[in-house]
Amino acid sequence: MDAWRIAWFTVLCATGATLIVLPPAVVIAWLLARRTFPGRAVVETIVSLPLVMPPVATGLILLMLLSRRGPIGRVLERFGIDVVFTWKAVVLAMALMGLPLLVRTALAGFEQVNVRYERVAATLGASPARIFLTISLPLAWPSVLAGAVLAFARGLGEFGATIVVAGSIPGATRTLAVAIYGYTETGRDSDALVLLLISVAIAFAALWSAHRLVERRPA
Amino acid sequence: MEPAWSVALISLRHVRTLVAIPLALWIAAAQGLPAPKPITVSAAVSLTDALTAVAEAYGREGLGSVRLNFGASNVLARQIVAGAPVDVFISADEAQMDVVAAAGMLKEGTRVAIVHNQLAIVVPTDRPRTFRGISDLTNPAIKRIAIGDPAAVPAGVYAKQYLEKEGLWDAVSARIVPAGSVRAALTAVESGAADAAIVYRTDARIALRATVAWVVPFDRGPRIVYPAAVVRTTALPTESARFLDFVRGAAAARIFERFGFR
Repeated sequence: MDAWRIAWFTVLCATGATLIVLPPAVVIAWLLARRTFPGRAVVETIVSLPLVMPPVATGLILLMLLSRRGPIGRVLERFGIDVVFTWKAVVLAMALMGLPLLVRTALAGFEQVNVRYERVAATLGASPARIFLTISLPLAWPSVLAGAVLAFARGLGEFGATIVVAGSIPGATRTLAVAIYGYTETGRDSDALVLLLISVAIAFAALWSAHRLVERRPA
Repeated sequence: MEPAWSVALISLRHVRTLVAIPLALWIAAAQGLPAPKPITVSAAVSLTDALTAVAEAYGREGLGSVRLNFGASNVLARQIVAGAPVDVFISADEAQMDVVAAAGMLKEGTRVAIVHNQLAIVVPTDRPRTFRGISDLTNPAIKRIAIGDPAAVPAGVYAKQYLEKEGLWDAVSARIVPAGSVRAALTAVESGAADAAIVYRTDARIALRATVAWVVPFDRGPRIVYPAAVVRTTALPTESARFLDFVRGAAAARIFERFGFR
């Protein structure tokens, strides 16, 4: 059935987007929480931009960068990689829109980790990487996970940037949100309703399981 | 007794045959029919059902394959101007085609009108009425009239133009409710929030809880045209022109008519 294919495609893209954006987002969040460096405020602002800008504008910027005449698209074309109007564009749009949510939530988590644990580990000779992996990250983990789920959920509902950079191509780039728009615009309200219910069910399952995962950990 | 390995061998042979036959067929098919590269057609979202049927017919005749991209015409126009890989653009109004033309992105001499639409007045199904003419809109029982926002939505622009031409705009403007899209205007009537709406005939046809009170005659209403053109940067000019010819042809016209276009 078409609805299930669209749902599966959307879940795959949102999962891919979350996995892609997770490592850089965690590193950025940790740097923002623990380090002072020149341009820190600039980094924080740039990371938050997708949250502030109209999604359609984000999509247009992505489109201009990635189109065959754009600075990134021109390089990619030489390797035979097309991004615009493919599933790759869907993943990229979702990842970019999820980035600020993940960074901000993880940042709050890192800020709550007591700096003294990290300092004690450092005096005992642990390297910064080891401190990050064995102390900071495990203690901030519930926040990182919550941020990842938020990014995933944002990806499920992403519309504005997706429809601009990936289009609404049936069977190729149509996500749940884009298909719902298409169906309502053509008077297929019952089809739209089916997709809407599926979206709600997926989002509910994701949020609920994340909640369970976080709860199970001792505080 | 058959040794176990021979059984394994037989099954291995089966597997090989199972793989080999489809593989051979696939290679033969690949050599026999040069699979044409699909062209990408960006089309106004209101054409979704009709154009999908047209593209299927195009494929059935073996003329080529088409990848359809649907969206609001203004978004599609901006995509093309920004360099999206589109071969053919079909807009819901001339204004958005003009945007692409102004950016120098249309292939010269390929711009054509493919289908026409009409305005229609719809009313809620549970309060049906039939209009004798557009002036019936001034009936005091009709308190709210939904149209697309005349500042942005093509259907609203057409509706306002038409009311002005008939000298009715001033009489009804206080009762006009601007909506974000032509579908939103229709929904206002279907939900009972508005007593009438001016929408496209094609939208009125598929509405479930709204009925047509009057269709604006072709010779009186605004000229509503869906223009199409080949994008200048296409890598497939021949295939694009072939599809555009098909869309303008008799077979496609019959399909469009089935969906309420003319």
